[in-house]
Amino acid sequence: MSTRDGIADRIGTFGHEAVRNGWTTERFAVLGLIGLVLLAFGPSFQVYLFTEFMIVALFALAFNLLYGYTGLLSFGHAMFFAGGSYGMAMVLRDVTPYAAEVVGSGIAPLVTFGLGAVGGVVLVLLIAVPVGWLSVRLEEIYFALITLAFGMLVYSIIIQNPGGLTNGTDGVIVTLGITEVAGAEFRLGERRTYYFLTAAVVLPSIYAIWRVVTSPFGTVCKAIRESPDRAAALGIDVTYHRWMTFVVSAAFVGVAGVLMAGLANVASPYHAHWTTSAIPVVATVIGGATFFAGPIVGAFVFLYVRWGISRFPALEAHWELFFGLMLIGVVLYFKQGAAGGLLMLRGWLFEVRAAYDRGGTDAALTYAKESTSTRLGRIGGSSDGKRGDRE
Amino acid sequence: MIEEPGTIQNNENAACGSAGSGVDRRSFLKATGAGLAATGLAGCLGDDDGGGLTLGAVYIFSGFASLYGDEAERGYELAVEEINEDGGIDGEDVEVIARDTEGDADTAIRQMTSLIEEEGVDGLFGLDSSGVAQAMAPQVAEQQVPLMVTHAATPFLTSPEGEHDNSVGNEWVFRNCNSLSIDMYGAAQVAAELDAEEWATIGPDYAFGYETWDYFQAYLEGLGADVEFTDEQYPGLETSDYTPYISAIIDAEPDGVITPLWGADLTTFLGQADEAGWFDAIEYTLFSVGMGTDLPADGSPLPEGQHASTRYDPFVPETEENETFRETYYEEYDTLPTYNAEGAYRALYLYREAVEEAGSTDHDEVREAFTGMEHSGPVGEYHFDEETNQAVVPAIWGTVSQDEEWESNVLDPVEVYDVDADELDELLADSELPSGV
Amino acid sequence: MEPSTTLAFVGLADVVIGLSLGSRLFLIAVGLSLIFGVLGVLNFAHGAFYMIGAYVALTVTNQLIDNFWIAVVAGALAVGLIGVLIEVGTIRPLYERAEGELDQLIVTFGFVLVIHEAVRFVWGSQPYSMDAPASLAFSVSIAGSTFSAYRLFVIGAAFVVMAGLWLFVTKTYFGSLVRGTSSDREMASMLGVDVPRLYTAVFFLGSFLAGLGGALSAPLQSTSPALGDQVIIDAFIIVVIGGLGSMFGAFVGAMLVGLMQAIGPQFIAAGHIAIPFVAMVIVLLLRPEGLFGGIGE
Repeated sequence: MSTRDGIADRIGTFGHEAVRNGWTTERFAVLGLIGLVLLAFGPSFQVYLFTEFMIVALFALAFNLLYGYTGLLSFGHAMFFAGGSYGMAMVLRDVTPYAAEVVGSGIAPLVTFGLGAVGGVVLVLLIAVPVGWLSVRLEEIYFALITLAFGMLVYSIIIQNPGGLTNGTDGVIVTLGITEVAGAEFRLGERRTYYFLTAAVVLPSIYAIWRVVTSPFGTVCKAIRESPDRAAALGIDVTYHRWMTFVVSAAFVGVAGVLMAGLANVASPYHAHWTTSAIPVVATVIGGATFFAGPIVGAFVFLYVRWGISRFPALEAHWELFFGLMLIGVVLYFKQGAAGGLLMLRGWLFEVRAAYDRGGTDAALTYAKESTSTRLGRIGGSSDGKRGDRE
Repeated sequence: MIEEPGTIQNNENAACGSAGSGVDRRSFLKATGAGLAATGLAGCLGDDDGGGLTLGAVYIFSGFASLYGDEAERGYELAVEEINEDGGIDGEDVEVIARDTEGDADTAIRQMTSLIEEEGVDGLFGLDSSGVAQAMAPQVAEQQVPLMVTHAATPFLTSPEGEHDNSVGNEWVFRNCNSLSIDMYGAAQVAAELDAEEWATIGPDYAFGYETWDYFQAYLEGLGADVEFTDEQYPGLETSDYTPYISAIIDAEPDGVITPLWGADLTTFLGQADEAGWFDAIEYTLFSVGMGTDLPADGSPLPEGQHASTRYDPFVPETEENETFRETYYEEYDTLPTYNAEGAYRALYLYREAVEEAGSTDHDEVREAFTGMEHSGPVGEYHFDEETNQAVVPAIWGTVSQDEEWESNVLDPVEVYDVDADELDELLADSELPSGV
Repeated sequence: MEPSTTLAFVGLADVVIGLSLGSRLFLIAVGLSLIFGVLGVLNFAHGAFYMIGAYVALTVTNQLIDNFWIAVVAGALAVGLIGVLIEVGTIRPLYERAEGELDQLIVTFGFVLVIHEAVRFVWGSQPYSMDAPASLAFSVSIAGSTFSAYRLFVIGAAFVVMAGLWLFVTKTYFGSLVRGTSSDREMASMLGVDVPRLYTAVFFLGSFLAGLGGALSAPLQSTSPALGDQVIIDAFIIVVIGGLGSMFGAFVGAMLVGLMQAIGPQFIAAGHIAIPFVAMVIVLLLRPEGLFGGIGE
């Protein structure tokens, strides 16, 4: 008991000290980076899972650039995810033989990967510019539905294998070769190499998205979300802004798609299906759309809960049940998503801590119990309360 | 699992084991209840390398193809039980850890990676979707873990990489059931014998539907049959009404139709085809996935007198091995074994033989043991082709008839078409297609 | 068989097939549209509801009472009750939220997963089929094609349901409450309408219709755990084409999509996925509110 109090005390003290000593975002960022590097030497599968998490996080964050910041819910962002992965896979498949002749076989895999990434993003832009132009004319549910329709059109094109390009329902296999530079050999597809590559792409992308939302452009976006009419009255071209946000959002989703093709080693038609469009939506709702980091937290919950379930055979056999219940629970009990929940938890811990300071362990426990039961009671009681108000 | 009572450690493993292998829905409830309550469930988490053989089963357990995973589960469950009662493998118990591929390549590869690296499995088996199998083949080669495919049927999976644009075969991937190529060889033999000149197809709108038609035509042409190919219809998966496609085929008036429709789609098709007068208008219908796995729960059968194939027939060959398997399976599950159940069942025995032959669970040695292995199971005696790693098993086609004793559809009479890799290659010589055998 | 004409013109038979498809789609889409029109909830689980209707009906006929009509009513009622439980327990708390629509969508998506698993648990993964009632077990020949009388009965049932709903909404007191609440909830509430109870009633009705659709479809197609997945996407398309919230729109939209699915594949090979989505894009761009608008229309 005493040791546990001791640890809690020490963590508490550390937190207080850190804040008092003016710990800045930068310092926490450095800690985070060190964590990232350390993780690379962790269990191999965890490296894989974290790589996938970073990709899905970027996918969700880019989706939320459109949803959270302009209020447009896209249910077709899978078309851009697939655009990235297929662009990458097709370039790799069709250009690799020629690249070796032009730049030499040693560096060819690296060059084609770069070309593939560019190809993926270009393909995404080719889709996003016209689709966005047409779609942003609509709002709310109509926007969600038209993006769903465009997304499924892309899906139906992919599985029809036009010109033998997409290899139909089987998808295109991605092979990342061995790069040889100055006598040193490395494989881009090697687990840790790819992890660092993904981090090196995702982190700057997240930063770039952050810059977008904090820029004047982002401020305009938020103004549009709050009230399109008022924004228009201020002389803002609402449709144009939405279009541009759509395209930027799509481009970052394309980057995530490129990375996914390299990780899973396949561009599969599933990447374009509406069920893939649902992934960033679900991640954003789980995480909380109103927080910048919400989709990242949501992507984390999404992937790690599914992984956690798979480690227990009894749960894995019925994962849909547990995953479905989790979704329902999170939405019902965390109004602002898991990120909001985390903030709430932090606030609650501070309250408990304050109670502890006042009256020791007993006071803290009493406070914890009471506040928890109030919180859980609120959901059940809320509708009755509302009805009461009305009558 | 049943025999060792005793220590807490054992009980924990029993809870993990029985849940992992699923047994049935009721034991799931118990296992979940117990598992969630007991802190001991953490015991399932660690890499279990206390000897014995641990295998990873990757099947579709959710979504529209979940019946395939459920069938396979019955098969490998039975094999695990039998093998462990029989003293295990070199005296050690075998354990199966099942994961859901969700029929999607990304998920399948994540699950495979987790099985190999977190559970430390000694080998993998399963796979229902050919698309997923093709994405996974290069990955198991990279990870150097043997994979015994028990269901996914595309010939490109056992066609050595480089033979064709889509070929992904490699030394780590084996297939213990017959492939689409072998099955269509049988279909072409059947079709060539029939009094039918014009052929058409109705198949699901994905690679499996197209490949079935391609190979059917190629083998018929290779056999020099005097036939024409007149119409092809590819309704999407989960189509709720096949009637437009059915009318299109009936209008084209072919003498025979080959259909690889399966599962709930096949059941829907059968009802609507019957309604539209299909079986009066079309002389011969060849159902390539019609038997076995696709028997609906309420037993509404394929129409008697039609031609159908299976990758394993519970009555062929008439060996003691097959009879024992059939009887045991029937006793356990109250239904005849389907080919998917038999494939999964046999995968366990293949691993046992390979491990005992290699004298270790070393991946490379097990792979070597599989290469060119001769084996005997319910499906009969067969060997793996050394170049392709495809089990050289026969094509089985027969006439659907209702069997009163088993209260089930069976193939009677049934014809077994033995295959020879060279012969298949020769028949396909004029096409671009690899035989994959 | 008569020798077929060389040109595959769209014949009467194709129209029957299209209407038959459309009538089943209508029964699911109309409930979806009704719930959206009144509650503003896009119920993702509506396809799963449809599936439960089919399972309950076939279990009743195959195992309990061999009476088709009782089975259909049982299927529809069971789904209606499940709908009420879900609405009261998990959707009602979300009405007041700022981003409530999306939260409702995700909750109902969660129920799709839960219902899948529940169905697999109870019925297993294998497909079932169900017989049409004996009184309708004969075939009818139309324009050279054979159809079961049951298929024609389901088309008729869709027309009857449409007419009944129209009378219900336009001629009854409850219907006027529904219309009033759907156009201005605040006002209805101020005028003393018990909005939560009305919402629950509408959710019951919508779910009941989904269950009815599933039960009536069971003899026409196989029933398996994924039955609702394809249907829900078709229903979304229909509701968009017809106009979100419009019952008559759902009817016209369903018949149009049914006809497109019946006739489309003859002209565009494998156009079954693309055609309805193309139609959806065109409608959204030219007339985003759909062909029809409003509950009573």
